[in-house]
Amino acid sequence: MNTEARKYVILIFFLFVGVIYATRLFYMQVVDDSWTLRAQEIAEKRKLIVPPRGIVKDRNGKLIVINKTYYNLMMTEKNITNLDTVAFAKLIGWTPEQVKLRFEEIKLAEGFDIDPKTKKRTQPRYQKIRSYAFVKEMTTEEMAQIAPYLENFPGFYEEITSMRSYPFANAANILGYVSEVNGEEIKEDHYYRSGDNIGRTGIERFYEKDLRGRKGVYYIVTSAMNNAIQSYADGKYDTTAKQGATLQLSIDADIQAYGEKLMVNKRGVIVAIEPATGEILAMVSSPTFDPNSFVGKRATSINYPKLLMDPDKPLYPRPLQAEYPPGSIFKLLQALVAMQEGVITANTGFPCNKSLVGCHPHPSARNIMEAVQMSCNPYFYQSTKRVIQSGKKSNIYADSEYGLNLWADYMHSFGLGNKLEIDIPGERGGLIPDANYYDNLFPSKKRPYGHHRWAFSTIRSISIGQGEVKTTPLQMANIAALIANRGWYYTPHLVKSIGGKGAKTEYREKHMTMVDAKHYDPIIEGMRRAVNEGGGTARQARIDSIVVCGKTGTAQNPHGADHSIFITFAPMDNPKIAVAVFVENAGFGGTWAAPIASLIMEKYITKNIKDKAKETRILEANLMNVAKRGK
Amino acid sequence: MTRGKSIGANLDWVLFSVFIIMLVMGVANIYSVSYDAEHPYILDFSQKYGKQIMWIGVSFFLGILIFLIDSDIYRKFAIPIYLFCIVLLVVVLFMPPVNGARAWLGVGSLGIQPAEFAKVGTAIALASYINALNMNQQSVKTVLLANLILLFPMVLILMQPDAGSFVVFTAFLFVMYREGLTYDPIILKVINTIPGVRFKSTWVGSHFIPILFVVVFLSLITLLMAENELSFDAFPGVEIPGFIGVIISLLVISIIGYFILRIFSARRDRNKVSVIVLIAFILSAGISTIVHVGFESLAIHQKERIELFLGLREDPNGDDYNRNRAMAAVGSGGLSGKGYKKASLSSAEANHVPESETDFIFCPLAEEWGFFGSITVVILFMVMLTRIVIIAERQRSRFIRVYAYSVAVILFYHFAINIGMDIGLAPVIGIPLPFFSYGGSSMMSFCVMMFVLLKLDSQRADLLS
Repeated sequence: MNTEARKYVILIFFLFVGVIYATRLFYMQVVDDSWTLRAQEIAEKRKLIVPPRGIVKDRNGKLIVINKTYYNLMMTEKNITNLDTVAFAKLIGWTPEQVKLRFEEIKLAEGFDIDPKTKKRTQPRYQKIRSYAFVKEMTTEEMAQIAPYLENFPGFYEEITSMRSYPFANAANILGYVSEVNGEEIKEDHYYRSGDNIGRTGIERFYEKDLRGRKGVYYIVTSAMNNAIQSYADGKYDTTAKQGATLQLSIDADIQAYGEKLMVNKRGVIVAIEPATGEILAMVSSPTFDPNSFVGKRATSINYPKLLMDPDKPLYPRPLQAEYPPGSIFKLLQALVAMQEGVITANTGFPCNKSLVGCHPHPSARNIMEAVQMSCNPYFYQSTKRVIQSGKKSNIYADSEYGLNLWADYMHSFGLGNKLEIDIPGERGGLIPDANYYDNLFPSKKRPYGHHRWAFSTIRSISIGQGEVKTTPLQMANIAALIANRGWYYTPHLVKSIGGKGAKTEYREKHMTMVDAKHYDPIIEGMRRAVNEGGGTARQARIDSIVVCGKTGTAQNPHGADHSIFITFAPMDNPKIAVAVFVENAGFGGTWAAPIASLIMEKYITKNIKDKAKETRILEANLMNVAKRGK
Repeated sequence: MTRGKSIGANLDWVLFSVFIIMLVMGVANIYSVSYDAEHPYILDFSQKYGKQIMWIGVSFFLGILIFLIDSDIYRKFAIPIYLFCIVLLVVVLFMPPVNGARAWLGVGSLGIQPAEFAKVGTAIALASYINALNMNQQSVKTVLLANLILLFPMVLILMQPDAGSFVVFTAFLFVMYREGLTYDPIILKVINTIPGVRFKSTWVGSHFIPILFVVVFLSLITLLMAENELSFDAFPGVEIPGFIGVIISLLVISIIGYFILRIFSARRDRNKVSVIVLIAFILSAGISTIVHVGFESLAIHQKERIELFLGLREDPNGDDYNRNRAMAAVGSGGLSGKGYKKASLSSAEANHVPESETDFIFCPLAEEWGFFGSITVVILFMVMLTRIVIIAERQRSRFIRVYAYSVAVILFYHFAINIGMDIGLAPVIGIPLPFFSYGGSSMMSFCVMMFVLLKLDSQRADLLS
């Protein structure tokens, strides 16, 4: 049998495989670049440098939010040899059981992802060669005690991190806090990686993009053991990290601290604004808490539940969210609108007719100054009736509809009924009812009054700041500021300057009210008299050296004792500060709110309190236990 | 060809040159892969490159001995050599296991792998056996004996276990095929029991081995291609579902094959050629279909097992996904490579590709030298294999011819499987790339294989049998 020809079978088979391999290699190496991408994915690591967050100063340059160095005790399981659990536990002050538990916790927490679609565990991610934080957020002092002995425990090492620190335990409601990002936030904004911090509330949240800075990036080629072998392309694509911008707050740290001190043992709010700029000088929400309570996971896990369960609700941002009928301070605006509409003049008098609406005993107001000074309810009932039921239409229902909408426009121009858009999140808008509201929404969405089924008499309580009207303390302070300015305001804001470049543009736009400046003077005169003359409701707000203008209010509280309200500004000419004080369950505005406001103003303007007795009375007052239910 | 002249005059310089080029490239490659900045000296014997050079030195010392000894001893002592290898294979089974296999004889880095040397021994034994056969008087006994020569070491190797070397031993079937040693006697014995049937020979029986290989090859390709989306992307942007791709490839190969065969075949045979090609296509497509359908109808856990064996199963990010890493290393080399000592995936330091000094030695080469480097290796192997076939065919001695073919097919197997697994065309079977992979046993056995071949060839004029 001649088998020589079979050499060709073998030879062709050899060459056939050779040609296929050559083709395949050409395709894989030259044509198809997907393997190159895969190789980059495997070996090239993009490392991020997280910059320190921007720091925060008060209006006088005092540091109020800084970054402090902390340490994480890191662990790489692969490098751990012969761990003496007992000795190690002793070193870090744990029990051996806690150490064991922590190991398992890390493996579980870092080991799996939950697939959002199937709700099942995905690939295990925990790797022995990776490093994980075994003990997080140790202070420098804690780490200093451990560090010398760490060499006895291979696989453990220290890593520096930085966390927020608040040198003054004030303004927690303004500053907010930071915590680690969650999965959704990472998905939404690709800036974040697991373990990064993000602002949760307050300034930290609103100015997150300014404060977080710019991450630095460097590329390295790594080995399978995750060690860096070399920098990629000699660092051509690397960028440096940039710390977040420094924020300068409009807050005066001293006034803020003083305000918080005054409000100890009281539930309520102080908002102080510089009228000329709209800058908030102090915004106290009481009771408050130490902003350091939320620094780091350890502290947060202890403090957060405690604060959340507190019956006095320290976490409730009262200045922004406590919506109440403004009470008598609303009368100032009613007087302004009536004058602007020409339905009264400064010298119009109304009898104190208690059959229209209840009032306290006082002589009838002969002009608007007296009406303000004495806070006469029937006066404003009658003047506002002329605005809302102006007689422009013959049908009183159509007339009221037209008038109420006009009235609502005025109120909106005073910054009411909508959010002012202050620069921290969580603000509420209050409520200014308009025709649509009574037609379709009030008293309930299901059974509203209905179109042309209501007139001024139905809604009269809004004329004295009660009933459906709601405002927030911030809006009340803004009313004080716009009256101080005689007819305009800047949106109240907390940040004076971002990285030295001034406030955001929307805080540099002047908002004009619909009332001309000349109509403010009689109102302001009334406010001056309320504080400074006999028969005034706010005599407690008097300061000897300064002409203070103010108006008291009492917000009716269906759940308990009325809330005490006072808005004020000083001095009368060239006002430097406008303040709203709101004290829960404290009854008449003149008793508590007025002296608190005056102390704040005096402290801000003269840096010194003359009437020590007044100060002592306020500091010692405890209104926490005033019955919330029943008067 | 001059009898009795110096070795230099009779040495096959083409083969010898290719051999030396490969060794030089191999050492350069190992030096790059395991380069350690603290031990930059290439002859540092504490490093792998130093050791590899040492092994080559030992191999060349053995080479000199081989050239000094009369080549006739291989034929004379074929059986003792073979038995010696078998004894070593038995002894190694009593050694402590290293990495789960009892493959190492001796201690530490000085150990040897008898399986590597058994290839040389078996080649000599088979050559000696076939040399003595009369091919025109084959019987069931001759076929079985030839197969027994292979089966002995194969079974012992499987007991280690060492699947890679086991597979390599099937290479000898090609040699048997070339020499006309067929399975025909067995098949005839079965078929002729049917009353009235009296075949002298069957086509299937005499071509049993290539047919078997085509079937296995097709099955593997079908499974690999049909299941592996990574490796079937005919052209950029043209994605073909795996199985259809296999059928299309078969069709294209058949059409090309048809035209090539037409050129070489006589005019009167042309119709016959087209029928043969058509039948070949239908048969191979049929086999592919059967394998594919059969695989698809398997239960999931059975599928997983097969996919695991083929290296298709692991997660692309898992640490053990050797093939994906290897392919990424090869593919990222580009046209001209990342540069010497610049392998970011397959250097020993990076270690993204495991075993990059031994089984996956082709990866750093392809990564650092790119397509230019990898095509050079493919061409060198093709030249070497072709040259060995030429050398084999010019022998007057059947012994030498069989031996030469054995060397060729073994080298071919190592080449095809080793590089094939780096480019997704072969299952992941851990066997070294001859003259490139780090390792004393494989280096010495391949060198000895080569030196014996060169020596036998240089003395071909002396042998008349």
